Amino acid sequence: MNWTWFHKLGSPKWFYELTSKWLPWLIGAMVIFLAVGVVWALLYIPPDYQQSYTTRILVIHVAVAGTSLAFFPLMAVAGTITLVWRMKLADMVAKNAAPLGAWFSFITLATGSLWGSVMWGTWWEWSDARLVSMLFQFFLLVGVVALRSALEDNDTAARACALLSIVGCINVVIIKYSVEWWNVLHQPSSPLSMSGESANGPEFWVPTVVMIVAVYLFFAVSLILATRNEILQRERKAAWVQELVSKA
Amino acid sequence: MIEAIQFASFSEFLDMGGYGFNVWSVYGLFTVFVAANLISPVMKRKRIVRDLKRRAVVNEQQSN
Amino acid sequence: MKPHRQKRLGIILFIAVGLSLAVGLTLFALRQNINMFYTPTQVAAGEVASGVQFRIGGMVKAGTIQEDQGSLRVSFVTTDYASDVPVQYEGILPDLFREGQGVVAEGQIDSAGVFHASKVLAKHDENYMSPEVKAALDAAGASPENHMMQPET
Repeated sequence: MNWTWFHKLGSPKWFYELTSKWLPWLIGAMVIFLAVGVVWALLYIPPDYQQSYTTRILVIHVAVAGTSLAFFPLMAVAGTITLVWRMKLADMVAKNAAPLGAWFSFITLATGSLWGSVMWGTWWEWSDARLVSMLFQFFLLVGVVALRSALEDNDTAARACALLSIVGCINVVIIKYSVEWWNVLHQPSSPLSMSGESANGPEFWVPTVVMIVAVYLFFAVSLILATRNEILQRERKAAWVQELVSKA
Repeated sequence: MIEAIQFASFSEFLDMGGYGFNVWSVYGLFTVFVAANLISPVMKRKRIVRDLKRRAVVNEQQSN
Repeated sequence: MKPHRQKRLGIILFIAVGLSLAVGLTLFALRQNINMFYTPTQVAAGEVASGVQFRIGGMVKAGTIQEDQGSLRVSFVTTDYASDVPVQYEGILPDLFREGQGVVAEGQIDSAGVFHASKVLAKHDENYMSPEVKAALDAAGASPENHMMQPET
């Protein structure tokens, strides 16, 4: 098998040039989806017959929570590439994903609390496996960030964070299935299909899907912007970066 | 479009069926979250470019 | 792939599979401790001793909520459609607390089989409905039964 395409993928210059072309489109799509999602959610989602307008909280909560589960798998794939192939770009992506993932986990917990405090009657339950495993993900991601800054040697830090990211994937599985494996207060996820027995009407799930796409786009844009900064810093001695800076 | 809006008045819109504090807190938090994670990498990029430009000038002076 | 890379990939896979197995077995062994609550059927089967603090989770049986006028005392029956457990509580109930809805109560059971709750939380299912849809379904007699917390068969 010919692996040159794979090594080309790992070139920071190639990534930088490719994202320069993609970014305007990604940012445009993100702005449109975010605007449509938020306006739809705040103005048009009908009240639930029991929860009133608090379903609007869940649109944000579900989108951010779902996206937050993508961080450990992404960092684990990047980490495996770092460990096996020693590709610089993979580690740059992983490094910048960790703090963003911590943000996502925190917003998931905060928005969930703001819903739970009025609907469940509690803003936090230590006995709920879903809540605690999500808090654990937040701590793990903060731990990855802390580990990175604690280890001075770049290569050692990259390898240590890669291993922690691979291990952290186990927790993602626990978060996902916690609502099915154990008795918890948290509701299970709603199927998005119309055929399912407990399918919700399009007035709830369509804006939710719009918001999920919006949040994924935001995740991509923010991570790409941060990774490009990392490339400029780490490759500052490369001729193409110096040329790029002189034109900027 | 207008008929489908769930509210008759602006105060009703703010009230969110009595859950105004919670709903608006969530949307406020979300706005801060999105804005912070877009603005901070853009600001950082400006800093990096400025810094690299200065270095390039210093290097040029040294080589002359 | 070069042999040293194959070896590194092998080590990573070995660690990942080994750790997953270890975590999986631990969670399986601890499953009753991770469960947030006991079901009325488990309580009726005597799985919890009286005087022990625990949580019970079930549905609020229709027509069983009795509110005491002039105080915050309330009693209701929680059910999983197989067994019933009566609950007594004094305090503020969450907004979602309603007949036919899920509930998780924390407290202890007395020798007469009555659960004395110190905290009552409302549990919501994964279904969301606008008042119009709910009314239409009720009129058609097709309102979906709440299936959560039915005993596992």
